Amino acid sequence: MLRVTDRVPDTPSEAPPASPRKTSRGAVRGRRRVHGRAALLLLALPATAFFAVFSYAPLAGLAVAFKNFSISDGVFGSPWNGLDNFRFFFDSGDAKRILWNTLSLNVLFIAATTVCALGLAVMINEIRFRYLRKFLQSSVFLPYFISPVVVSIMLQGLLAGVGGQGGAVNKMLNIFALPSVSWYSEPGAWPWILTVVKVWQMSGYLSVIYLAAITAIPVEVYEAAAIDGASRWRMALRITVPLLAPTTVTLLMLSVGRIFYGDFGTIYAIIGDNGTLFSTTDVIDTYVFRSLRQNGDFGMTAAIGLFQSVVGLVFVLVTTFVARRFGRDTRVF
Amino acid sequence: MTLTDTPPRRRRTVEPFAVASLVVVSGFALFCLLPIWMVIASSFTDESRLVRSGYSFFPTKFSLASYRSIFTESAIRDAYVSSLFITVVGTAVALTATTGMAWVISRRVPRISAFFGTLTYLPMLFVGGLVPFYILVTQYLHLENTYWAVILPMAVSPFLVFIEAAFFRQIPEEILESARMDGAGELRTFVRIVLPLSKPILAVVGLFYATAFWNEWFIPLLFITDEHKFPLQLLLQNLIGNVNAAQALQTGSAAAPVYQLRMALTVVTVGPILLAYPFAQRYFVRGLTLGATKG
Repeated sequence: MLRVTDRVPDTPSEAPPASPRKTSRGAVRGRRRVHGRAALLLLALPATAFFAVFSYAPLAGLAVAFKNFSISDGVFGSPWNGLDNFRFFFDSGDAKRILWNTLSLNVLFIAATTVCALGLAVMINEIRFRYLRKFLQSSVFLPYFISPVVVSIMLQGLLAGVGGQGGAVNKMLNIFALPSVSWYSEPGAWPWILTVVKVWQMSGYLSVIYLAAITAIPVEVYEAAAIDGASRWRMALRITVPLLAPTTVTLLMLSVGRIFYGDFGTIYAIIGDNGTLFSTTDVIDTYVFRSLRQNGDFGMTAAIGLFQSVVGLVFVLVTTFVARRFGRDTRVF
Repeated sequence: MTLTDTPPRRRRTVEPFAVASLVVVSGFALFCLLPIWMVIASSFTDESRLVRSGYSFFPTKFSLASYRSIFTESAIRDAYVSSLFITVVGTAVALTATTGMAWVISRRVPRISAFFGTLTYLPMLFVGGLVPFYILVTQYLHLENTYWAVILPMAVSPFLVFIEAAFFRQIPEEILESARMDGAGELRTFVRIVLPLSKPILAVVGLFYATAFWNEWFIPLLFITDEHKFPLQLLLQNLIGNVNAAQALQTGSAAAPVYQLRMALTVVTVGPILLAYPFAQRYFVRGLTLGATKG
């Protein structure tokens, strides 16, 4: 970054090769361009500084993954220990569990949110009353803006209720003559509970994107289908959904690219340090956080982080490539 | 947005699928709103009633006790101030940095735009992870227990840079050219012409940042240990832990409305978002739509 900024003073030498006064216009434009370049660098400076400090500098810190790190010796003073940190993690027996949890939970989340968002978008599109449709769309989009901590409180209210006496969910179960469940000590239920939370959070958000893609479908296609006597259901099934395929693939690829990253915010806010539920809900990110905070194990934590980044990068690159091939005309982000 | 009158000839007949859609979407909307409503209703319900019959969707025994204690509790006021500071200053910083970078990328100046585009894109692909970040903030920048520990790491979202750049590219070149003809320099053109034209996207990006700052709790959890500097989300998170621990004494004395207070604090925390949402919502939709259709 600094090198680029340093170049500003010597840019004039390459900009006006023509004699300054010959044609006033040319000279002015020449000077402007130089001036403009400095202005652009100035505008880019804050964000560049940000990336330099928070995105690029930490990469040097990844050396910790290969070190026996101690705070007093610092990043560069701590002794190297080769692959010990990685070995320690993969031998610990936790590795298999958290990798499996990360992948399986994300697959559940992706599948469920995609299906729900797609269905929601198609159905919202069917609603004729304009204000009602707006209201419903806003309602399903709202959960996206609720913070994980608040989501956690709501979930506790619905599942555990006041003082663990059972919430609305258990009351519903009781109505159907089913026994109450003490959810916070039932690890088996949590992949599904978290999936419901994800659907609640994300479906509306994703459906907004799908709806935008639906509006891009030419009206004539539907008119032709209507003349052929197709019902709205058939149109949705045979026109809307197939024409949404590129958008769907692009969005899917985006989430698959992130499949190696757990949703720390939501999962940790909900599960916290409730060890009973770790067997099904502990993902890479929550594990990393706990081993850093509770055990202060910098080396191993950095090793897991590096492993996650590298595998994550592979996923991102592969899925970006796939998305480019499939969704050429609807590029999302 | 309107496919409302797609098949003009079949208006009269009631389409089963349209009816089914209305029912399903309404159901889903209810599913989305009910948990929020439960929190609001319970925050107005008297603690004794909560302890006896649990959270409910109808505030049966109306009470403002928890709100009264919220507004007298100094910890909560402190947290509100913290959250406000982080959100307002954070959004201002983030919007400045993001907008500048987005403009440079969108200008398509040879080499410069590509360079900064790549600089912004790479962090989306590869991140250093928690440990280097933690060491950076605590050992090198020494930002623990300052609001900057929350603001600075979240100051630029590459994704939002690209959203903004996509918008900037739609500004007709002629407008910029005519400004230049009138003798305006690059910076002047940007401030006087581009920014006023870009109010919609600035609103979108600003709102995305503002919600992100307001809702953030992980970074404060990492770096803020001074209770006076806790933002709301962290205070709330702490309360979850405490009530979990306090579940043993669940007989609950009426003196301290723990459960009602918890719900009221939740309402206060989501309050600004719920209040701003009706007005801000269309900007979010517009931002996402822009992202979905433009590259």
